[in-house]
Amino acid sequence: MTDQDQGQLNRRDFLRGGSAATLMMMMGGIPLQGAESASGETHYKGETPPLNVGVIGCGTWGREILKTLSGIKFGPVVAVCDTYPAYLRRGGRLAPEAKKYADYRKLLEDDKVQGVIVATPTHQHKQVVLDALKAGKHVYCEAPLASTVDDAREIAEAAKNALEVNFQAGLQNRADKQIVNLEQFIRSGTLGKTLKCRAQYHQKTSWRRTSPNPEREKEINWRLRRSESLGLVGELGIHQVDVSNWYMRKLPKAIHGYGSLLQWQDGRDVPDNVVAVLEYPDGTFLVYESTIANSYNAIKQIFFGSNCAILMRDRRAWMFKEADAPLLGWEVYAKRDTFYTETGVVLGAGSTKQAEREKVGASAGVIDPTSALQYSLQNFLINSYNHGAAVADFKQMFEGADRDALADYLKDLAKNRLPAAGYREGYQATVSVIKANEAVLGNKRIDLDETLFRI
Amino acid sequence: MKRNTMKILLGGLAGAALIVAEALPLQAADTVRYMARPGSKVTISGTSTIHDWDVVGRIIGGSFEVEPAFQTDKSLKSVKSLLTKETNPKAQVVIPIRSLKSGNQKMDEIMQEAMRAKKNPMIRFKLKWMVLKGEVPAAGTPVKFEVNGDLSVSGVTKNVTLPVVMERLPDGKIKFKGQTKLKMTDFGITPPSPKIPGMSLIKTGDEVTIKYEWLLAPRRKA
Repeated sequence: MTDQDQGQLNRRDFLRGGSAATLMMMMGGIPLQGAESASGETHYKGETPPLNVGVIGCGTWGREILKTLSGIKFGPVVAVCDTYPAYLRRGGRLAPEAKKYADYRKLLEDDKVQGVIVATPTHQHKQVVLDALKAGKHVYCEAPLASTVDDAREIAEAAKNALEVNFQAGLQNRADKQIVNLEQFIRSGTLGKTLKCRAQYHQKTSWRRTSPNPEREKEINWRLRRSESLGLVGELGIHQVDVSNWYMRKLPKAIHGYGSLLQWQDGRDVPDNVVAVLEYPDGTFLVYESTIANSYNAIKQIFFGSNCAILMRDRRAWMFKEADAPLLGWEVYAKRDTFYTETGVVLGAGSTKQAEREKVGASAGVIDPTSALQYSLQNFLINSYNHGAAVADFKQMFEGADRDALADYLKDLAKNRLPAAGYREGYQATVSVIKANEAVLGNKRIDLDETLFRI
Repeated sequence: MKRNTMKILLGGLAGAALIVAEALPLQAADTVRYMARPGSKVTISGTSTIHDWDVVGRIIGGSFEVEPAFQTDKSLKSVKSLLTKETNPKAQVVIPIRSLKSGNQKMDEIMQEAMRAKKNPMIRFKLKWMVLKGEVPAAGTPVKFEVNGDLSVSGVTKNVTLPVVMERLPDGKIKFKGQTKLKMTDFGITPPSPKIPGMSLIKTGDEVTIKYEWLLAPRRKA
């Protein structure tokens, strides 16, 4: 929190007679620290125990993960892996202490590695994940989990049955504090009657990677081949489709898709201009648009309801009220931003209807410096460590206890988990976009049976 | 029956008897050993100037060793180790500090730091003596004891005396339950007192209440 925020809290706290308990709750995990003083202050900071990580896949996203991990003290990278020597070298530079492996199986044999992050191309996740789970490693598998429903199901089932390790899907929004809090805010009924969601991902980029080696160039452009790629809706859209499924609390019952290749006609067969409508069982729907030929308005997501619309953009959110919607008390004090003809109430980080009622001002205009990816990786590290510790302590203290007893113990601990996408969320989001991509490629409507999503 | 067959049969029977005899649980040591089982619970409750707090753990490891008569004599009149301080059962209890959860990751980390858990990851109790208090009810359960032992937390060991209740459960399991009050500072633990900006110093209370239910089952002999 900035000094400005602290000042604001003091004033508002004083004005509202706010309780210290609320402040504590709102501030959540702020390290309790201060200088040692005669007043009896203690300076415990609390240290998160480390989890040794191996990163498999040092492409663009793998390197983004490595960069993020280098800033997380409790996520030391002890191993990196890539089949391509140049990428392995680049990955190694981002994790100088890590051992370099060209073969992921050798990495899995490394006892130092406790958790692995799988950031290979989507269609190559499966074998790596299955082997990693078998090797007793905690697994973070990037989203989409796989490029076919069967592969995704195999991964999800293996994760479900791997009792002794933690599995997380790379749906980082599920760990992002803002997005988690916003979900609770919307769940409290703010929208009124939920109508629809609109999401878009616009970015002008060719998606084509280059390499001096033609064979390598073919390999790294898997995104441009429909035989391997889930296209825009799969590779880009999965995060927004997942947020829609999550906030609407539904899974699609039918998907209409349409796509065309208009700008990047370089021999690829993956459309660069797509739209999909995901129908939910209660009459609500998601309209998803994506193109890599235009950047206007970039990435945004809007939820529409009879009381208001909520816009999410650039890790910030605004609420646009309907004239006849009921007033939420705290709105009176909230900051507003104007967009052309619309004025939106800023929804600050950490705001929930509950907290607002008791009251502290939304930290308006402050963008959380911690990225969604960082939250996601942090929560993976902490959840994995806690899971591993629970299993180890249980086995050590209860010799010969059966698997069911361990499962019960872990189930009880699950309530302490930090927010993160598990195998179920990963599977359901992956299947949603696999089917959406199918609809787009076929320019058609596909009906989805709910058994498809059951795992 | 032909004589030879008889001999073979008898020989066989004797052999079988020998085998059977060896398979019978031999009470080599004069004790029965109970091992910790899942299903235990320990709660440490405390206070602060803001609100009360608890941490809960479900792992209590260790063992309890006592005369075999304990299993059969519900009145415990023949179980000397539970009637006098001169002979005593053996018991040791272990609780991993990292298994204690408050529901908030940061608070758990601070608790672990305050308890110096890196160097002393376990809370341990070693029994010194255990004596029956009052009469054992006809059903044989619940039974009140007074218990004394050495409690080690955070590298500091203190001798403590506390009342413990034992329950006999179906299928031979036993449960020890009770609660006791302790002071953090007695174990060299400084109660966290953080200063949150915009607020006065928060003080965590020194006294905590430990409530436990420890489940054990007799170790099965081979």
